[in-house]
Amino acid sequence: MITVRFYGLLRLDSGMKEQQLEADTVKEVYAQLTQLGLSRKALYGCVILVNGKPAGKKQKLKNGDRVQLMSPVAGG
Amino acid sequence: MASKYAGYMGKVMLVDLSTETVTEYPWTDQQRELYLGGKIMAARILCDHLTGKESPFSEENWVVIATGPLTGTGAPSSARFDVSALSPQTGILASSNCGGSFGFHLKKAGYDALILKGRCRSHRWLEINEDQFLFHDADELWGMRTSQCQEKLAELTGKKRFGKLCIGPAGENLVKYAGIISDERAAGRTGLGAVLGWKNLKAITAFGTKTIPIHDKEKTTAWCKKWIEYLQKHPLTGQQLPRMGTAGLVSSMQMLGILSTKNYSAGQFEDFEQVSGERLAEEFNITNKGCLTCPIRCARTVQVQGMAVKGPELETLGLLGGNICNNDLQKILDWNYELDELGMDTISTANTIAWAMEANEKGLWDNGLEFGKTDNLPQVFDDIAHRRGICDALAEGSKRLSEKYGGKEFAIHSKGLELAAYEPRRAVGQGLGYAVSNRGGCHLNGGYLVIMEGLGLHMDSQTPKAKADLTMTFQDLMETISASGQCLFTSYAFFPGFLLTKPNGILTKTVNAAAPHIGWAVRLINKYPRVAAIHLPIFHHTKMIELALGMKMNFGRYMEIGERGYTMERFINTKFGISAANDKLPKRLTDVPQDSGNPKTKVPLETMKKTYYQARGWDHNGIPTEKLLRRLKIK
Repeated sequence: MITVRFYGLLRLDSGMKEQQLEADTVKEVYAQLTQLGLSRKALYGCVILVNGKPAGKKQKLKNGDRVQLMSPVAGG
Repeated sequence: MASKYAGYMGKVMLVDLSTETVTEYPWTDQQRELYLGGKIMAARILCDHLTGKESPFSEENWVVIATGPLTGTGAPSSARFDVSALSPQTGILASSNCGGSFGFHLKKAGYDALILKGRCRSHRWLEINEDQFLFHDADELWGMRTSQCQEKLAELTGKKRFGKLCIGPAGENLVKYAGIISDERAAGRTGLGAVLGWKNLKAITAFGTKTIPIHDKEKTTAWCKKWIEYLQKHPLTGQQLPRMGTAGLVSSMQMLGILSTKNYSAGQFEDFEQVSGERLAEEFNITNKGCLTCPIRCARTVQVQGMAVKGPELETLGLLGGNICNNDLQKILDWNYELDELGMDTISTANTIAWAMEANEKGLWDNGLEFGKTDNLPQVFDDIAHRRGICDALAEGSKRLSEKYGGKEFAIHSKGLELAAYEPRRAVGQGLGYAVSNRGGCHLNGGYLVIMEGLGLHMDSQTPKAKADLTMTFQDLMETISASGQCLFTSYAFFPGFLLTKPNGILTKTVNAAAPHIGWAVRLINKYPRVAAIHLPIFHHTKMIELALGMKMNFGRYMEIGERGYTMERFINTKFGISAANDKLPKRLTDVPQDSGNPKTKVPLETMKKTYYQARGWDHNGIPTEKLLRRLKIK
């Protein structure tokens, strides 16, 4: 099971804080999230972290991995 | 002196608080071309006045309150004003910027800037009604909190729409990090509220009905419209900042490992979600709000004690959150309001308390403060503002406390000014900025390179490569934006939207990969800004100045004004003994890796400083050379 956490506008727009999914890659996670109604454009605009480390869509996942998706931010 | 340029009211007034007399201070069009306005104008005035022997609490410490030429022209986010003087916190030049409406109303009264010299003989407040400068007894106002004081000023002036600024109890009691409040906004940093307090000046109001001249009104209006549309379409200024404010950065900083935690001993806070911008937006935010003329509207409005008040910025969330091990967001909202009411900088207050908590934990100073223990903090804030008991010492800030009790290595300041919430060991360019910033440990005056190091773009955040040159570029750019009267947030739209919305795209990845290798190119532009004698299509600021002011401007000139301002501020600081030895960070950030298994996770400051001085044309000791000072017409 993969835990996906949402941050930034992605979370405000989707109303989702967390999803538990079965997936072998980030790309599969994206496919399932699109089916759940998340905007493909918003997902592809996200910074991806897997277990706290920067990752890409092709990143392989294993059971227990934690994926964090963050829409772009700046300014403080 | 009247100006041929629009945008300016043409008058700078020298107000002698000791004699309560007012005279015009000469300011020419040539100076307007060289220094534009705001903080650079203030730096020129103070550069001419200060010798290096003045102290912050003295009649010789002039306070310059300066507007920018774009204030009141309709340019987006342009209602800001600057307060500059010697800081009691750092002992060197300070400038603090505020989004309150005082600057706009000062111009409506007919003035571009005020210079306050001397000291009131008793508690006073100053009322400006166009040609009238009226000094009033302020005994009735003395002791008032900032909102109560501003309400009373409305009653005393009999006006509804006017400009006002005031200090709170912290400024009256000379707390070293007391700020100045205008409406709900603060010129919070560097302790200039204490300077007004020492001068016995509680408040200033400004009112007038003069017209702020605009060079080409039709084209200016059209350009503003176009610019505002651009800002509102941009993912940062049109989406993230209006919807989440700066608070939206907390989660991202956590992921990058740059969220100051437990007095900067770490860059990630376990309970970050409790104090995040997402939670603020979902559970606490009533609406967003903007300063006068601002289309970005990044301010939060939240509920405190049944009132709708200004919500916290990212710095306050981070520093009164993870940095003192507090996960109670409602408390941060309450404290943020309380500190504004007392007129006290949230960043320095929070940092000083975090230092005291660690000093207590390490047995250096028994002060009753503990990480994670927050019930006593409201009383501590009030006691600091009134300098009661042990909090009299806390009112001095972390630098002086660490000199007294030990613990310098974890006193998180540079030149006496405490750092913002960005833990720089995983954003080393930001670390350089903190160290070399003219006003001390400021993220914005430092160049805000973290926007390239994860909060925007994603260049290698640990490499020192290109960081010095990029820091100079951003510092100079923001220097001029500020001097024009505009908000620095307008510069974030300088980054094309697609670089932010497609972080995994090939082009973005290429830009991120190339960034550490473009230092030489950036240096060329820094060194010869006039080669960029063009208007950049994504940088609307320069055209705005031409249309609204009728002053010749392009990107190169704009950058050169910024360089002139930044170097002049440094030159003033060198009169007060500042050199390379003062451009430093606490050892925790330069000598101790954040990740003990990764020796790269600390700030390689000395390496970057050397390159930075070369880029700026300063000598190896960080002193601007005579040749440079002459080239920039500072001397």
